[in-house]
Amino acid sequence: MFEIKPHEFMKTYMHEIKKKTDVGTIYKVIGFGNMFMSDDGIGIRVIEELNKMNFSDDHKNVVLIDGGTSGIDLILTIKESDKVIIIDAVDVGQDIGEVVKFKANKIEKFDEKRLKSCSLHDLNLTQVFDLMNSLDVNFDITVIGIKPKVIGYGEKISPEIECKIPEIISNVIQEIGY
Amino acid sequence: MAENINIEVSPISRVEGHGDLVIDVKNRKVEELIMRIPESPRFFEAMLVGRNWNEPSHITSRICGICSVAHTYASIKATETAFGVKPSEQTLDFRKLIIHHECVQSNTLHVYFLAAPDFFGVGSVIPLVKTNPDVVKIALRLKQTANEMVRIIGGRAVHPITTVVGGFTKIPTEEEMMNMKNMLKSTYPDLEKSLKILKTLKVPDFERETEYISLTDKKDYALYDGAIKSSDGWTINDQQYLTKINEKVVKHSTGKHCWATRDSFLVGALARFNNNYDKLSDKAKTYAEELGLKNPCFNTFMNNFAQFVEIVHSIDDSIDLIDKIMNSGLDESKIMADINIKAGRGVGAVEAPRGLLIHDYTYDNEGKVSKANLIIPTNMNYANVEKDMDAYLPLIIDKTEDEIRFSMEMLIRAYDPCISCSTHYLNVKLINK
Repeated sequence: MFEIKPHEFMKTYMHEIKKKTDVGTIYKVIGFGNMFMSDDGIGIRVIEELNKMNFSDDHKNVVLIDGGTSGIDLILTIKESDKVIIIDAVDVGQDIGEVVKFKANKIEKFDEKRLKSCSLHDLNLTQVFDLMNSLDVNFDITVIGIKPKVIGYGEKISPEIECKIPEIISNVIQEIGY
Repeated sequence: MAENINIEVSPISRVEGHGDLVIDVKNRKVEELIMRIPESPRFFEAMLVGRNWNEPSHITSRICGICSVAHTYASIKATETAFGVKPSEQTLDFRKLIIHHECVQSNTLHVYFLAAPDFFGVGSVIPLVKTNPDVVKIALRLKQTANEMVRIIGGRAVHPITTVVGGFTKIPTEEEMMNMKNMLKSTYPDLEKSLKILKTLKVPDFERETEYISLTDKKDYALYDGAIKSSDGWTINDQQYLTKINEKVVKHSTGKHCWATRDSFLVGALARFNNNYDKLSDKAKTYAEELGLKNPCFNTFMNNFAQFVEIVHSIDDSIDLIDKIMNSGLDESKIMADINIKAGRGVGAVEAPRGLLIHDYTYDNEGKVSKANLIIPTNMNYANVEKDMDAYLPLIIDKTEDEIRFSMEMLIRAYDPCISCSTHYLNVKLINK
């Protein structure tokens, strides 16, 4: 089992998490993507929407994280006791705009041809999951993905993708059991 | 070897598919040898026009998850220069501190996760976990430390939010400063172990002297600030970059090629090492010596070792910076400078992990961007990559096509191009004519 022991003081910086330590399992909802690469920004956009809703205030055991395009940092962000929900542009062969949900740790072998994270991360999600498996990191990650229509330079998310934000949020709520 | 070789590596960027490596040899004569990557800044330059002065740093920090701090500071410096803003020394020290750790984040990612598999002869970082678990564990610990440094000072591990035009919205507490220092000190055993591992690696024997361009400073190993220096003997103020650095559109690529004194130049860790060796910490110099990295070095593959040496320097210099800030005393009154909006032009030049990065903004009277020019290091290196490939191919042309392809990919990866994550997972097509 690979373990990174955090410096004791690091805990003091995680104010939002510290406040939540008495509320049981911590759910980390992480949106990945680049908000200037059109539909690739869907993960970030959903986190923005959840923040606007003050979702984290209403759900004390939920931490919202704008993961940007940092892939490898996922390993450093999660802890064994966390349940992680990742929101990202994902292509598993579904239709454009179709939302899919699956457990990352239930997949025995990641096949990039079938599971293609569309984000411009340093290591993409499939590689990071693979790395976590190789490191024997125990993780409980649910991926909520949507197949993008456009990935290219642009600030706007396609209407066909944007209209699915409520569905993605419903999936998040369902996942944390509210 | 075959008389004819046609290697096409496409796409280098697995998402957009814009990057290609093409090697075409007929009757042992090189017909075509090019690298194509698109020029992403065009979109961001257009997006910046019309924006308020306080927006560009946040927008451009999203250009890249790996270089977000560098883009933030190139942007902030351009705006501050245009308005004549003078940040406090405390602000400058914190900026130097945070930019060190983006360098550590990025150099760690590249040296240990993206380049190391080449040297260990494994396909990616995944098998490296089994063959060389220590390397991966050290890398994750270093990355975690650098992430914490950026997060404590910048508010987030990527895309920092506390650092703005004029200064900071928040600075660390004394306790946080001491904790950062302790955290940095704890990295030394891992650096020592890394040195032992890296010393065992065999670096391809290849030398091609070129022009090396980087920032330079009288006091610091320049990352945050300095004049622009060329190994060909000139140094200019960063505001004058257009007098030396030229861009041209080339037929085979949507990305512009850059040149200065010669027809190509190199930016990045090796350029910084060659131009600023004497400003490295003593420990960094010792590590360089142990690794056989001599000043000047003309082997592009050694760029990876230069990146490691920079990690050592950044740790050392960060400890010194923390001591300096603490000795002066944290001063909340110095976290923001006065900002007077006016029309003007400013250039911000910093060293991104993979080389010189320039933002050039023109503002109108209302403080809105009327013109923007961004020159990214990967663009600056394109022409030099091709020159290196031209020189390297004849040395390996008697190898098998697989070996040639691997060697060329390794050469490109040595530059740590901004799409390095993708280049390590290339979708390769190999066609024998």
